[in-house]
Amino acid sequence: MIEMIAALQPLVVGAVLIWSARVKLLNRHAATVARRSALVRLVGEHRTLPAYRLLGAVELILGALLLLPPALRLETAAATAVAVGFLGYLAYARRTAPTSSCGCLSSRPTPISGRSLGRAALLVAAAGLATLAPGDWPAALTDRPLAGGAALLAEAAAVVALSPELDAAWLLPLRRLRARLTNPLRGGTGLPLLATVQQVQLSDPYRRVAPLLRSDVREHWDDGEWRFVGHAAHYQGRPATAVFAVPLVDGGPDAVRVAVVDDATGQTLLALAGAGQPAGPRLDVVPA
Amino acid sequence: MPHTLDRRRLLATAALGGVVGATGLGSLAPDAAFAAGPATVEPGAPDPNFVEGRISKISGHLLLVTGSDTVLHSIRITDGTSIWKLHPTTFDQVAIGDGLYARGVRLPDGTLAADSVWVNIVNLHAHIAAVGRNLLHLDHKGQRIVAHVVPGRSAAVYNGTPAISDLSLLRVGRHVQVLGAWHPDTNEIDIATVYAAA
Repeated sequence: MIEMIAALQPLVVGAVLIWSARVKLLNRHAATVARRSALVRLVGEHRTLPAYRLLGAVELILGALLLLPPALRLETAAATAVAVGFLGYLAYARRTAPTSSCGCLSSRPTPISGRSLGRAALLVAAAGLATLAPGDWPAALTDRPLAGGAALLAEAAAVVALSPELDAAWLLPLRRLRARLTNPLRGGTGLPLLATVQQVQLSDPYRRVAPLLRSDVREHWDDGEWRFVGHAAHYQGRPATAVFAVPLVDGGPDAVRVAVVDDATGQTLLALAGAGQPAGPRLDVVPA
Repeated sequence: MPHTLDRRRLLATAALGGVVGATGLGSLAPDAAFAAGPATVEPGAPDPNFVEGRISKISGHLLLVTGSDTVLHSIRITDGTSIWKLHPTTFDQVAIGDGLYARGVRLPDGTLAADSVWVNIVNLHAHIAAVGRNLLHLDHKGQRIVAHVVPGRSAAVYNGTPAISDLSLLRVGRHVQVLGAWHPDTNEIDIATVYAAA
């Protein structure tokens, strides 16, 4: 069993290497991807793209050699060395440049996570296993097609599961489906304070008294059909409270009223109701 | 409490009753502008009337705040100060270790007399990685942030339309902007407002 699995490993490692090389060699955004990666710190800004492309070429050649039987021990040993080097690079990048992107299997910016490290470790194990027990993958697959296919499928699933770059293709749709079935954010009711504040801020009374306001919303309460919103205000040097009244149901900005009340005496200094007509010049357009 | 009720009744009566028609008084805009007093803004200079930092000590109505540049500030909370901590709240909800943004007026001794204080306020651009019961898992530049929906407080603004309480239109994988209150020293926040496309 273990020999059969070992014999299949060049196929897995080769496929991952070629996939990785595709991003580095053919992707239109390769230059951007390289700039976001930790290669910048390792080889310097202007050598980043050539290094990235060179890495892609090495991956492509090695991947092709692994896929084309026979898989020589030299090839799998080289693949192990590359995989170990890559694991080391990821660990280094995560320590020294935590905000850098992996640049591994996709051009999507992906921070280096435990999953990326897990995937690199899986590749090390796969290439190491192939080096220890070399075999011929077409023969192994024709000998036991069912078991071999299952092993390949499981390994491919592990690689995909450990690739944060591919989440958008399978994990997010699954989560979206679960959210659609269970609807976990249901149940929000009532008129949020922000809706009232937005209505106030669009109103004519607010525009008129805004220069007097000193504070954000200090208090708010509902009373019958109305919601009241209080701000601290200054009116001709006197501390005052500006209180806006907003109807709870069916009222546009026009329905907003305001009073500015002296804090010391309780005297109403200013009271305005929403005027249908805004202050200032106005052009009436009559439809023809 | 009776005092609060009396005061609220007075304010409500002032706002609803005895309304003077705006047109009857003429335009009040210039009047209001002059009543506000002169603005003292120096272009290009750091705003002296703004403070950010974390509260290291509370004595009476004075907050000692360490700014993120390690500068110490003292902030006086007055009767007219608005305090936001997920929602408009009172001074007793403010705790040591909370972060804050404060705006007010500098007193001659350097203390900031606060007009408005926003405690633990955060403003994040993130992607929704997953949703749970009254919970959003946000991906913020590769960091995971757990955002709690607070029933009755959290609001959503979809496509710039008026805010509503229904957050069920949020979708996994979409970009959102979240205003909320941080739980100090954790990666968790309570959602005040989430802005999204629907």
